[in-house]
Amino acid sequence: MARARRGLEVNGHRRSLDGVPDDERLLDTLRGRWRLTGTKEGCRSGGCGACTVLVEGRPTLSCLTLSSEVEGSAVTTIEGIASDAVGRVVRTAFEREGALQCGYCTPGFVLALVGLLKERGARVASETLVEELSGNLCRCTGYVSIRRAAEAAREALG
Amino acid sequence: MIRPDAREKLSGEAVYGTDLAVERMLYGAFVPSPVPNGVVRRLDLGPARRVPGVVAAVGPDELDRLCPKHDLERPLFPKVAVSYYGQPLAAVAAESPAAARAAVRAVVLEVDAAPPLVDVEELYPAWPEASARGDARTVAHVLARDGDLVEAFARADLVHEETYRTSGVHQVAIEPHACVAEVADGRWSVTTTTQTPFGVREDVSDLLGIPPEKVVVTGTWVGGGFGGKGSSFLEPYALLLAAAAGRPVRLALSYREEFQLGRTTLPMVVRLETAVRDGAITGRRVRLLLDSGASLPGRDFATGYAIAFLLGPYRVGAFEMEGYAIRTNKPPFGPHRAPLAPQCAFALESHTDSLARRLGIDPVEFRLRHVWREGDTTPLGLRVGPFGLAEALERARALRDRWRADGSGSGRGLGVACGFWSTGTGAGGEARLRLGPEGLAIVEGEREIGSGSVVGGLVDVAVRVTGLPPTAVRVVYENTATAPYDTGVFGSRTVGALGQAVAKAAASLVRTLADRLGSRAPVSLEVKGGRVVVVSGRLRRSLEALLTPEERRAGGLVATGKHYGRSGPIDERRVVDGTFYGYQDFTATVALAEVAVDKETGQVSATRVAEFLDVGVALNPALVTAQVEGGVAMGLGTALTEEMLWRDDGRLGNPGLLDYRVPTITEVPPLTVELLEGHKGAGPFGAKGVGEPPIIPVPAAVANALADATGARVTELPLSPERVARALKPL
Amino acid sequence: MGFELLRPATVPQAVALASAAAPGELAVLAGGTDLLLDVDRGLVAPRRVLSLARLPWHSHRWAKGGLTVGSAEPLRNLELDPRLARRLPGLHDAIRAVGSVALRERATLGGNVVRAAPASDLLPILLAYDAVVDVVGPEGRRSVALDALLARSREPALGHGELVASVAIPTTADSVYRWQRVRPANDVSQVGVAVVRSTERPYWRVALGGVPSRPLRLHDVERELARARPTREELGRAAAVAGASAPFVSDKRASEPYRRRVVALLLTRSVEQLLARATPKAG
Repeated sequence: MARARRGLEVNGHRRSLDGVPDDERLLDTLRGRWRLTGTKEGCRSGGCGACTVLVEGRPTLSCLTLSSEVEGSAVTTIEGIASDAVGRVVRTAFEREGALQCGYCTPGFVLALVGLLKERGARVASETLVEELSGNLCRCTGYVSIRRAAEAAREALG
Repeated sequence: MIRPDAREKLSGEAVYGTDLAVERMLYGAFVPSPVPNGVVRRLDLGPARRVPGVVAAVGPDELDRLCPKHDLERPLFPKVAVSYYGQPLAAVAAESPAAARAAVRAVVLEVDAAPPLVDVEELYPAWPEASARGDARTVAHVLARDGDLVEAFARADLVHEETYRTSGVHQVAIEPHACVAEVADGRWSVTTTTQTPFGVREDVSDLLGIPPEKVVVTGTWVGGGFGGKGSSFLEPYALLLAAAAGRPVRLALSYREEFQLGRTTLPMVVRLETAVRDGAITGRRVRLLLDSGASLPGRDFATGYAIAFLLGPYRVGAFEMEGYAIRTNKPPFGPHRAPLAPQCAFALESHTDSLARRLGIDPVEFRLRHVWREGDTTPLGLRVGPFGLAEALERARALRDRWRADGSGSGRGLGVACGFWSTGTGAGGEARLRLGPEGLAIVEGEREIGSGSVVGGLVDVAVRVTGLPPTAVRVVYENTATAPYDTGVFGSRTVGALGQAVAKAAASLVRTLADRLGSRAPVSLEVKGGRVVVVSGRLRRSLEALLTPEERRAGGLVATGKHYGRSGPIDERRVVDGTFYGYQDFTATVALAEVAVDKETGQVSATRVAEFLDVGVALNPALVTAQVEGGVAMGLGTALTEEMLWRDDGRLGNPGLLDYRVPTITEVPPLTVELLEGHKGAGPFGAKGVGEPPIIPVPAAVANALADATGARVTELPLSPERVARALKPL
Repeated sequence: MGFELLRPATVPQAVALASAAAPGELAVLAGGTDLLLDVDRGLVAPRRVLSLARLPWHSHRWAKGGLTVGSAEPLRNLELDPRLARRLPGLHDAIRAVGSVALRERATLGGNVVRAAPASDLLPILLAYDAVVDVVGPEGRRSVALDALLARSREPALGHGELVASVAIPTTADSVYRWQRVRPANDVSQVGVAVVRSTERPYWRVALGGVPSRPLRLHDVERELARARPTREELGRAAAVAGASAPFVSDKRASEPYRRRVVALLLTRSVEQLLARATPKAG
């Protein structure tokens, strides 16, 4: 069904969805088509959170989201996180707390945390924040430093 | 200090194996075996080649044709016998992933299925009383003994006998395997996410029969290794496809394939018998039946080295250890962070605890009576060097008693367990340093896998030798054609062994500069105004002034260093059969776990964990602590939730992250990490390897805490709710 | 290979598209978190996928009698509404048990109803609430009890061309959803028990997940819990009935006897929890 499409606004820039098949996942459009490979491909089944991006500011699994389904939306990936005020705070917290090792889960964690802090605000209980990060798997850190980073970001914004 | 790789990884700029893409790249896919055991009757790739967009299809015939000198014992594709479900029988390359999938479906494949062997105990129902030897499925047998075990058992006050079982566990690096290969102008090039660029080069050379100098391997950032990216896997297949297609080929695994094809820890069964007289261990017999998957005879590495972990870091008097590795219809056994050591420690340390309780002795006190001390000799005849186990145990006991006193509530339990590891694997490497006016470059073929051993550890070593600030030292990555040789980032060896090579190269730089300065006093380096300055006492010269014109043109003064670790020798008189390893330079670790148990559902949760690690010297305490934190979390997964579930039909029942459960942030409790210095190791400045040891004692500590809380001894990993519920109250 | 995504902007258009499709040709995508997994695994291969994204079903609203949830409303929107935990605590429990936050940003209540998965964490609590599903189709609108809609496993009793528009959940005195899993976070439940307390008969409404075929109301258990404040013995009997009567089987997640033990336990704990919440603490 040929039709005009509204495209996506990715990290503040308009991107056309022309030529994107209807069944293409946002993950593949970002990585394969636009070479925004900072969004990571992990399990592709909603089990690891590595592909988390923000759609309209909210954490979303790009592996289980059709690009066509979110047309017209604003998408934020790790490449665009520096132009977001909360994003800068979270990135600094990850850096200072050493909350990464191999780095593969890191973009997903950063986006998830940015989204949660936006959704719930800095007054969110640490317990809630930690619980809501449980969809993002990290195999390297044991999450200790990630907890510290989440806490530091929360306090910096509070 | 901010990790040197943090900015690149936090901006999304870091390129991992999965992110690779080059011009004219094709997409590869495997043609998987539809059965776990059987015989290939017909493989016709013709229809696959006719699928639109398909450029190449390769099977056994193409392997023979394109790589006539390939390894006949380990062909990439089996000609006849299929060994596991999903085993690659052929591969295709196409213009798109969808076309590649269509080609796989188009292959005409006829395979006669045979019943698979899934459970090693099914094959040897009478083991351990009857031998498990003599069958074609035995890929390894090891046996060693010393002392009069018959006498020890006959004179014992007590012989404590138990059987333990452990499950298959997967590395679950979040990044799947992926590479891009190209064959052009006689060069077989592959860019890949690997712990061992040079290991891949050697494997590819052996498997495809290509001279190593024609194989060029380039590493990428690695999204987690844990042993799973420790040798070649996809690379030879991708290269074969690229050779057939005449174009670059990307080959990557789906996460489902990660599980189905993954070379990882497989189940094992352990029988332990310990003789005690007057409260002391006088003899021990251990027997191991290891599921080796589709490992080939002579290719098993695990049995002879793992079995020593069952005797433990203890003085046990007379002993006998015998192990079998059995070929089953699963992918070949592969390394996974401290291969089999957590499983062996689970068995042995559970056994030690239950024995101590039976004797009415505090389990920590009982261990302290038996642990190796510096100067002791191991069962294989190796001398124990500086070893912090007794100190770690003392500290763990003190903390356990504090935790006990601060009121662990009802349903809580506390457990302690020991682990030990060798970081002197003998695997060696070379380093090349280039000191230029602006700083020091460490030239490496290895890539950082996350532990920080490359971007942090090697830098720390160079910093300590030269006096330069860390910001003036960087790692420069080159491919295997130009980088100095090293065996890889595995075995907790990077800082210990390659770090020694870096230390030697750095020392040589400093010596050269001292000579040029004409100084007898020690020389160190500083950075002033962005330029390197050579300092000796009151003498100060800019580095630039000390370089020759050739060196200035080449970017600096170059120095190299080599280090090949030592291993063995073991006391061969004690070896009856098979291969044992003389790994030494022991490190010690003790875990203390507190658990809460729901006695009805059987749910066990760790409520706090402490680990005490003998690190020799902590060159970078933040990075070392992070290794312990990650190891403990992974150990909690092995302890509580992780289990590969093979069905009777030989297929994996849970090939995904929803049913194979690694710990999330909510399953990892507060951790206490204590690094023990003072028992210096053989690494630079006395450092010991720290990547693997932290995981080792964790499952056992959790099991011992569970026993403390409930009185129930669960003898099989993981301690999942149903298993625990059954142990507490039969269903 | 692949599918075409249909994104109608009005309900009549959506119904027309759904009605025009041949059986098996079309799948409905509310959030897609389950459907797209099935597509990836090759379990379904629809040629056309009907998206609900542009329909006016992307909201939830509270009224005097309860909550109405549009079938394309993401679960995350519900849990972020502070009224949910106060008014329908059992639904809040159940939503928090579904996948991760980022998954709940796409997953929907409507999708759960239409997919009718036996392991769904949402269906037991909806059954216990006596949720009513609003359906639109070529013949117009109709309301149907969720229990009736879930007649068969994975195959809701919808007519050709019918779409789930919304789910209506009456508010009740109190409710709870409890589950048992190997890994507490982000896992599939081995057993799920939903209990709703009502101020009128039946005082207790109980439903169960993790059973094959489909999530079930346990009417025989409800009969044992006949009184607003059941005695310990009555609760014990009800738990025994729950354990004995549920049609459990053994699978890779848990064995049948384990499930029986756990369902009895979760029922007991749920009822005790609701009773404790119903009794204002002295002092």
